[in-house]
Amino acid sequence: MSTVFNPADVQGNILRGYHKPRMRHLMLEVTDRAAARRWLAASTSGGDGVPQITTEEPWETKPETCFNIGLTFEGLRALGTPDASLATFPPEFVEGMNARALKLGDAGPSAPENWPAPFNDPKRVHLIASIYADEIAQLDRLQHQALPDGKGLRPLGAREGWCFDGDYVHFGYRDNISQPRFKEIHDSESYSDSQPMAPLGTVLLGYPTNFEGLTWRVPQPEALGHNGTFNAFRVLEQDVVGFEAYLDKAATELLEHPDVDDLLPPGAEANIHLEPGDSLSRHAALREVIAANMCGRWRNGVPLALSPDATDPSPDVSKTNFDYDGSSRCPYGSHIRRCNPRGGQIVQRVANNSRRLVRRGMPYGPAYDPAKSRGLKKDEPERGLLGNFIGANLGAQFEAMSCDWLNLGLQDPRVTGSNDPLLGANEPETSWFDLPLKSGAAIRLRGLPRFVRTRGGAYTFLPSLSAIRFLGSLTN
Amino acid sequence: MPSNAGWLDRFVDGLPETRFFQFVAAHILVPYWAWRTPVKLLPGGPPPSVQPGDNVQRMMNLVMPLKDKSPVGRAKAALAIAQNKDEIYAGLDNVGTVHFARFVIVDNNICMFSVYDGDFTNYIRDFIVTIGSVFDAVVSLVDGGDDVIPSEDNVEKFIEWVHAHDMYQVPDLATGILRDQEALNGDTAAPGNDDLRLLPRQLILQLNVNNNVSLGSGYRAYPGYSAAQVRQQFGSGW
Amino acid sequence: MDDPLEAKSLETKSLEAKSLEAKSLEAKQLVDAIISDFPDHDPNTRPVHTIGIGVDGYFIASDVARSYCIAEHFKGQRVRTSVRFSNGSGSPVQHDGWSDVRGMATRFHLENDAATDLIAMTLGEFFSPQVKDFFEFTKAAQQQPYQMENPWRKILDMLQLKIPLRNPYPKETTSADAGMLCYANRHRFAQLAVFQAASIGAPVSYARATYHAVHTFVVTAPDGIRRPVRFSWQPVAGVRTTDPTAPPVDKYLDRELRDRLQQWTARFILMMTIGEAGDAIDDPTEPWPAKRLRIVMGTLTLTGVAEDQAAASEHIGFNPCRLLPGIEASGDPILHARRGAYENSRERRHGTPCPFNRSETDAK
Repeated sequence: MSTVFNPADVQGNILRGYHKPRMRHLMLEVTDRAAARRWLAASTSGGDGVPQITTEEPWETKPETCFNIGLTFEGLRALGTPDASLATFPPEFVEGMNARALKLGDAGPSAPENWPAPFNDPKRVHLIASIYADEIAQLDRLQHQALPDGKGLRPLGAREGWCFDGDYVHFGYRDNISQPRFKEIHDSESYSDSQPMAPLGTVLLGYPTNFEGLTWRVPQPEALGHNGTFNAFRVLEQDVVGFEAYLDKAATELLEHPDVDDLLPPGAEANIHLEPGDSLSRHAALREVIAANMCGRWRNGVPLALSPDATDPSPDVSKTNFDYDGSSRCPYGSHIRRCNPRGGQIVQRVANNSRRLVRRGMPYGPAYDPAKSRGLKKDEPERGLLGNFIGANLGAQFEAMSCDWLNLGLQDPRVTGSNDPLLGANEPETSWFDLPLKSGAAIRLRGLPRFVRTRGGAYTFLPSLSAIRFLGSLTN
Repeated sequence: MPSNAGWLDRFVDGLPETRFFQFVAAHILVPYWAWRTPVKLLPGGPPPSVQPGDNVQRMMNLVMPLKDKSPVGRAKAALAIAQNKDEIYAGLDNVGTVHFARFVIVDNNICMFSVYDGDFTNYIRDFIVTIGSVFDAVVSLVDGGDDVIPSEDNVEKFIEWVHAHDMYQVPDLATGILRDQEALNGDTAAPGNDDLRLLPRQLILQLNVNNNVSLGSGYRAYPGYSAAQVRQQFGSGW
Repeated sequence: MDDPLEAKSLETKSLEAKSLEAKSLEAKQLVDAIISDFPDHDPNTRPVHTIGIGVDGYFIASDVARSYCIAEHFKGQRVRTSVRFSNGSGSPVQHDGWSDVRGMATRFHLENDAATDLIAMTLGEFFSPQVKDFFEFTKAAQQQPYQMENPWRKILDMLQLKIPLRNPYPKETTSADAGMLCYANRHRFAQLAVFQAASIGAPVSYARATYHAVHTFVVTAPDGIRRPVRFSWQPVAGVRTTDPTAPPVDKYLDRELRDRLQQWTARFILMMTIGEAGDAIDDPTEPWPAKRLRIVMGTLTLTGVAEDQAAASEHIGFNPCRLLPGIEASGDPILHARRGAYENSRERRHGTPCPFNRSETDAK
């Protein structure tokens, strides 16, 4: 196992984000094996008119567009990967995301049976090509360049993402704040973070992992597997109308709650702002308190763990350098704490920092405008997040976090039996979420509906450049 | 016995208990029907579910046949556990999701029966991280175990191997096994021409393929709570 | 409007919106359909669970019961109860020893003539999820001539690894078994109930069987939380059935209960299982997983067989929808249909009317 890291061999969208405002994912089916292989071979060098795959090589000037690919198991099989090779891929990847629905909480409205095309026919989704650009015209140009005639690869569908407001996503939170940091990568925006540096094997196959002593099986042959990684691509529809309506309802109920002054002392609404210098009513402030507790960060990204009472603390606090200890006022069940408990106390003590993921996501759909909206779910256009959750082992990282931490809440007995308030498979009859009070007691919110519905997805393998060349040179 | 029963009726009624019939059933009828109407191996472990009550206090029933089927082999297995008591306890405490666990030697099998919370693969994987060496020591004594050790280098294969040795849990209610067989065949529609009288045969053929099974999902005196919840409620620290 | 349990109770309100006439007709048709399964039915008796015995007792709730349900009988005081055990058959001819479902109907007597009923049977699941399916079931479950299976036929069954059909009991000339099996083969939802009914046997005592109320109810806790639940009576003395290979005895259960209650009391624990989102709420054919939370709601102590059997066993009219504030019916259509059917049957046999409690919940 080589541990010398060669950035030119790794696709560029894994270890860093491009920070491009527009992105398009194209779901492709292999129709002509030989033509598809030629296309792959050409993509590594940019010959034959096929766009060149962007690598992890540092750049002096940011290119106009970036281009990357991912392959599903069916895609690897359609390209003629030898059976002996296919047998070395992990079982959850082989089964595909549709078959793992119960593990991921994709039941009821999120069930794969309800997914729209092309995700309802997973055997045909072979390759996901991702284009990143600044403008739609550039996306179109690159798509046309990549697939001029559909020979060899047939487009089944596309999903387009757009950063409508910088780093803000639907639901109004600022996203993309904290990612695992790697020793091998000099990130131009390096920031201080109390979490240990992540070993490269958190993400890439063929390196020491973040589980002591464990190594993941690198798909064979070495050229195919080394420097590759796995991605859980998810189309997550967000019910913004429902979310804002729930915040209204919960804030109204809280105003009458006997302990509300412990949660938000009278006058403390002055510390809570949506825009600089604004002044919120008690009801509006409570809405922000609830939203912050559900996420773990105020909507502007300031972490509750460092600033539980003010959206704009002074002096400024770090957005990334914090941890959870016994006195932390960040709820045990809040979204960011469930997905990444950092060094906080969890039941599975050995698992701290072991299920970290690189998250590259972009919103899709138009921004929600409360002035224009009539507040009816059925009149709203679909909007949400196109998420890429990247890790070296789907089972140990993405799936493990989804089934035991996001839903079920096994990591802390005080939240066991409840689901993530933002993302979880919530049923209003049984859902609950505790807001911690300074006194140590809690106010329990009930009746949270499901805010996020899965509308498609796939497990993809993000091959290294050597792997793409290997696949391009298959001759069977 | 109805009063109009003749000698033939009485003979036939007593037939299933005779050694002759049991021999015929085991050596001729079962192989014939297994060939004629084959059933697939049902997977081990509790059935997957999104409901919280189904994801705590889950049963694992692991049966691993020893390579050395003699008292010496059994003693080696017993020693492998006894010598690793600290490792096993540290592992179980720090994985945090196990209610009860015990190693048992039955005939020439080393078995592990445990009650755990959450996902099976997470539980085994966290174990490999903490007590991988104990796993290696035990599994090296088991038939077919050499292919999957050292466990730390063969994580995915090891987890699949353990899953394959975990018993299928026959559903609590009798007709549930028909539903499991139908689901495995991808037959989810309600066709309308079943034969409920074939249930005994379906059960026999399934037990012909899944030799060792757990009957039912087990009894729980206080269902619905994770191990950490119990410890927290009683103030033992979690 | 955001509480779906509340939305469901609106749904049940709309079920009730079916005109009173239509419901009354359905009730009559249900009773007629059941009677059609028992050709020797005596018109002054119940159409099923004809033969029974009335027993006196009292119920005391556990100390946690009141934190799950505000209903009056769970507050912890001693509540007088009237219980009727019965054999499932609608035939007036008594065959205690034949394989049959048993019933246990309990009335909790409260102040000011208020009362609530809990009706349970030894089968945990029902045969059909909808009323129209039930009509089809009663048509299929007609009595058909029943004889001992030909020994060559039995050998053929054994060669196919099937269990041969059971021999008829002495004096048993007809049976509904074949019809029910045929129905179950065509409808998967009925298979569990039919299978369990076929092998249920006869208990050694009415006090040694577990009785299930089958349907889901919704209980309201003091803090307003509403939970879907299913009730079961568990015998403290344990479950025991008679030896199925021994010849069945026709009349023993009444005598056994009288003797038992003279020597010592018989007790049942009321177990309440709490369902989770995703469990079958409105479908009485679907069991709940064994891993659900079970709450001990209280203990029923039977003190003696009632003196006036005419009043305690024959004239009394139980109804599964006779509920109290704190307990509501779920949207289960069979549970709702039983309300009318039981009333209709009580009228036909001139049973004692017992008013439904004047409260919002009794309308459900």
